[in-house]
Amino acid sequence: MTKWWMLAAMLAAWMALGRLLLQPPEANATRAPSSSRDPTRIVSLAPNVTEVLFVLGLADRVVGLTQYSDYPPAATAKPKVGTFWQPDIEAIIALKPELVIVARASERQRDLADRLGRMGYDSLALDIWTVRDLFDAIAAVGEATAREKQAEQVLGEIRTKIRSIQAAVAGKPAVKVLWVVQREPLRVAGRNTFINEIIEIAGGENAIGPTLHKYPPIGGEQVIASGAEVIIEPDMLGGDLSRQRIQARSYWARFDSVPAVANGRIYVIEGDTVSRLGPRLVQGIEAVARCLRPQLFKE
Amino acid sequence: MHCLLSPRTLLIRTSLAALTLCLTMFLCSLAGSEKISLQAVRQGAPQTGTPNPDYEIFVRIRMPRIVLAAIVGAALAAGGVTFQALLRNPLADPYILGISSGAGLGAMLALVSGLSWTVWGRSPMALFAFAGALGTVWLVWTIGRLTGRFHVTGLLLAGVVVNAFFSAVIMFLVSIAKSQHLHSTIFWLMGNLTEEDFFVLWVGAGCVTAGIVSLSFLGAQLNAISFSPDDARSLGINVERTQLAAFAIAAFITAIAVSLSGLIGFVGLIVPHAVRLVFGPDHRQLLPLSSLIGATFLVIADTIARVVVAPAQLPVGIVTAMIGGPFFLALLARYSRKVYWLK
Repeated sequence: MTKWWMLAAMLAAWMALGRLLLQPPEANATRAPSSSRDPTRIVSLAPNVTEVLFVLGLADRVVGLTQYSDYPPAATAKPKVGTFWQPDIEAIIALKPELVIVARASERQRDLADRLGRMGYDSLALDIWTVRDLFDAIAAVGEATAREKQAEQVLGEIRTKIRSIQAAVAGKPAVKVLWVVQREPLRVAGRNTFINEIIEIAGGENAIGPTLHKYPPIGGEQVIASGAEVIIEPDMLGGDLSRQRIQARSYWARFDSVPAVANGRIYVIEGDTVSRLGPRLVQGIEAVARCLRPQLFKE
Repeated sequence: MHCLLSPRTLLIRTSLAALTLCLTMFLCSLAGSEKISLQAVRQGAPQTGTPNPDYEIFVRIRMPRIVLAAIVGAALAAGGVTFQALLRNPLADPYILGISSGAGLGAMLALVSGLSWTVWGRSPMALFAFAGALGTVWLVWTIGRLTGRFHVTGLLLAGVVVNAFFSAVIMFLVSIAKSQHLHSTIFWLMGNLTEEDFFVLWVGAGCVTAGIVSLSFLGAQLNAISFSPDDARSLGINVERTQLAAFAIAAFITAIAVSLSGLIGFVGLIVPHAVRLVFGPDHRQLLPLSSLIGATFLVIADTIARVVVAPAQLPVGIVTAMIGGPFFLALLARYSRKVYWLK
């Protein structure tokens, strides 16, 4: 029995020693990051944020990006620090960043920002889910990098273009759009997405009603019931749009009672401008508007 | 190898295993996606201004992660030994009685509910997983007891069914979860080792070591029970009490491991078997040796997971299964002819 008591005593002593030597993390998380107003070494962990940085003229200050941050083309030459879902903290620290911009959407990135913060690195966490969030994010990045003027200018341009598209479609009946993100199993964009915003700005209406999922998996029944007038598929094959068009035509042929299929209005469009909520948003909206009303918006 | 275990042999083997573990941990701390120089590390943390990335990577990123891998590996291997002995079933592993699905369910509930407070730098996922693991074991134990006093078959069946049921609930939660949660979920369910705060590691190491030592205290009783509970009773061992104690301790350290790292498969199954094949089935030796070798194994597996697709990383569960499986089969082919208890 004594050995059990000794073990218990040793465990208690170990815990006490730990409490003495080390502090729980909350206690030592206080080392304030050395906030510099004009960071010269910036790491971005999301492709859309990278595009924002480049638009604001910070190209030469970006020292690290995640894989697939491939726009503008100059971005591909920058050192890589893992992927969006799995950023590599070692690689980030090795770059001695003065500002790390993370996406709050990813728990790993949020967690990573906390850990970097405890080591004294500055980070900016952005939450970009809606067009409004994008505007806020551009302003926030501008503020954190002393580029407020440029940010304002970029925002102004985007807003003006959006307004002119809205003006062109104002008063016209909304076109019902089925936005397909994946064919097998079939998944479409629901109402609570920025895709839905893009569709509405471009003068359309989501053919799918409110759903539990953001990108609901649906069955053939819902496809037919949706009465979609236009089906839009963003690029799924990594750029091979013509091959995807052929596949799409044969896949959708089975739903020939849907107006979009009957009238041959199935569109395959470039992916990045409509799947990344970034400064190229306007190009995406224009592409969608062209699908909905080809005669109104010419190339 | 069939002679009785002398204290001297036990001491030598344990020290050698401990030495191997320390050496492995040191070597693995040199590997990573970034090259670092030990010289720069020795300069220590900068007093002012310019950061010293080498020091930060070595001390604050790699070391905590390697220590965590060692703690988790030791806990899972010791848990595996204990469950195999108690259930007298070679297929038993620390997860067999539903700890994995209980922990997974806890973690998923925390994720789906979107809680965001932290305790000791741990997200609610870890705490929910810990509670879920212990709650499930208690549930399975209670159901198993209804089928008779420590009726092994009843316990196993209860474990399997609870596992299946909770897995279904987990899949339901996954299917309604927001898409941005899916990635964390996959990583959690396949083993997710990241660097932890030193204080958390300190507490975890203390609890797991104490658990393994106390299981080793029960080694002689476990020997008798794994042979035959009736014979153990006639030797004057309080079988029910030993079973309950061993069961509770093994469940506790497994729950700690799971809450620190998610579900890492295979370590708790193959390490005990491999050690048993090579060194014999005496639990007084099996427990310390399996723990140390389990720790070594997971440190190596995690280093591979960190390095092989760098700068990205693999879930460590993939690596444990992919290197552990073939290695174990080779051991099985090499040693099983000589080992009487497999026949």
